[in-house]
Amino acid sequence: MPAPPRGFRDILPTEARELRAIERALTETFTAYGYMPLEPPMVEHTAGDSILAGDRLIQFLDRDGSLVALRPDITTAVARLVAQRYTDATGALRLSYFAPVFREEPAMLGAEREFSQAGVELVGPSGALADAEALALLAESLARAGLRDETIEIGHIGVVRALFDDLADDARELVMRELRDGDHVGAFRRAREGGMTDAALMRARSALAARGMRDIETLGLAGIDELREVIELARRMFGGEWGTPNLALIPALPYYTGIVFEALHPDVGFPIAAGGRYDLLLAAFGASRPATGFAINVPRLHLALYASGWRPGGERTLVALAAGEPRTTARLAARLRGAGLAVAIGAVAEPAGQRVLEASVVDGTRVKLPDGRTLDVDALAKELGP
Amino acid sequence: MTRPLRFALAQGNMLKDELAALADCGHDVSAVTSDERRLLVRSGGFEFVRARPSDIATYVERGAADIGIVGKDVLMESGARVLELVDLKFGACRFVVAAPRDAVARSLDEYRHLGSLEVATKYPSVAERHFRRRGIAVEIVKVAGSTELAPQVGLADWIVDLVATGATLAANDLAIVEEIAPSTARLVANASAYHQRRMEMAPIVERLARWAASR
Repeated sequence: MPAPPRGFRDILPTEARELRAIERALTETFTAYGYMPLEPPMVEHTAGDSILAGDRLIQFLDRDGSLVALRPDITTAVARLVAQRYTDATGALRLSYFAPVFREEPAMLGAEREFSQAGVELVGPSGALADAEALALLAESLARAGLRDETIEIGHIGVVRALFDDLADDARELVMRELRDGDHVGAFRRAREGGMTDAALMRARSALAARGMRDIETLGLAGIDELREVIELARRMFGGEWGTPNLALIPALPYYTGIVFEALHPDVGFPIAAGGRYDLLLAAFGASRPATGFAINVPRLHLALYASGWRPGGERTLVALAAGEPRTTARLAARLRGAGLAVAIGAVAEPAGQRVLEASVVDGTRVKLPDGRTLDVDALAKELGP
Repeated sequence: MTRPLRFALAQGNMLKDELAALADCGHDVSAVTSDERRLLVRSGGFEFVRARPSDIATYVERGAADIGIVGKDVLMESGARVLELVDLKFGACRFVVAAPRDAVARSLDEYRHLGSLEVATKYPSVAERHFRRRGIAVEIVKVAGSTELAPQVGLADWIVDLVATGATLAANDLAIVEEIAPSTARLVANASAYHQRRMEMAPIVERLARWAASR
């Protein structure tokens, strides 16, 4: 019997239960901020302006000969959908998702080609309050999922771009591309070749090394007020001293324009979540609208949670009811479920990490437990209740 | 975050320069020597990992090491996503395309007739990217070593190889057709670690940058 194709796998019950618990925590938080669920299709036409290079997409030909791809992210689908379906919307559009995406991911954990992303898009409003909302929602979602010890790094693409304002437009774009690739050596070489002064180079170098508001403020850069304002507002929305300003945070994706952020965890070598303001993406679909949002990489969040000892909480005990006389067993199972208990008839082959209590049928209203006690439905419900 | 910073060092030719640079910057590297058999040693506040150059990019990309020194050539071939922070300037070499000294014209003629060249290399990604950019159709023949031999035995028309002085090419009657890219050692870091442990990393990066600038 063949295993699933390369990069696809079965998610068995123990893992699936944990993923459900994460999904519940995240989607409940999204709902609390007024975000509405959205389900774009699994397959989209391959666009020339995809966020990933063609060889990272999983593509195939449709029957009419058009090239289609399994969606590599949800944000692009949302941008398309907003441009097509919400052309006349004037207010703020708040959309959320928890859905699998498909990529050729060379450095993905276990080289998975399918993994879930959870995220939100806030389309319409611009300005500090909207940026702060996306940031606070990420922090609160991760906290409610049970994550500890993460840092949320906050950068600003506009401030970084302004560091290279002395350069001609095309030279500056080359520098930004090197920075998005993580190549500071190449970026500064191009900046020097483009004619930037030693003083300006030094200043840019210090800015990209600075982390924390105190370090960054001493540089006196334009646009820092916006960064400070967004972080302050976000902390008011979700309390605490979280969030670290960090201008070296420059995501690989080219469509970000302003505030950008990532959630990092010491046990995971890759970002757990990434987001920011991307006012240019919707314009690529013909609907120029401000937008911000983030996507959480669910397997990486799960890994960080697991590494720090997290296990899903608030789980019910499963009653494994050894079958007696069939009609009596059926009636008793119905009564137990009616009293709010989870009941499986017969032995449980896959408890998936859940607590299991074996019980046998005494009569239509009573069970016998392994410790010898006989309890009626209400007494058992009380014993196993919250 | 109690673990000391894990510093990956490329074994081989560059190890001596790597250790000298770190020592010049005031780091105690006495426990890391080329005849030390342990691959993971603590020294001067770091946990040093010695690994094959091509593995360093992987270690740092995946966060198994926080920071490391590796050649740009390795980064170009692996495509690993790491932060390249400082050009350390030692370990200089370059990727070149080379052909038998007397056969450059003949192989170009062959290309006109047959439309494709065979290129032997240890660096298939670099070679493929280069020829695609130049619009030349090639068949890449991956070899594990002694690339210079390939044209002499008819395995390939040209080679793509890494050269420091060019002496080996000359000894095998090969001439450089064109240069693809220069390479030197780079200080690299895992991006997540660089962000989260900036307080520890920034001084190291700064000292090594100053060290490199003074050379």
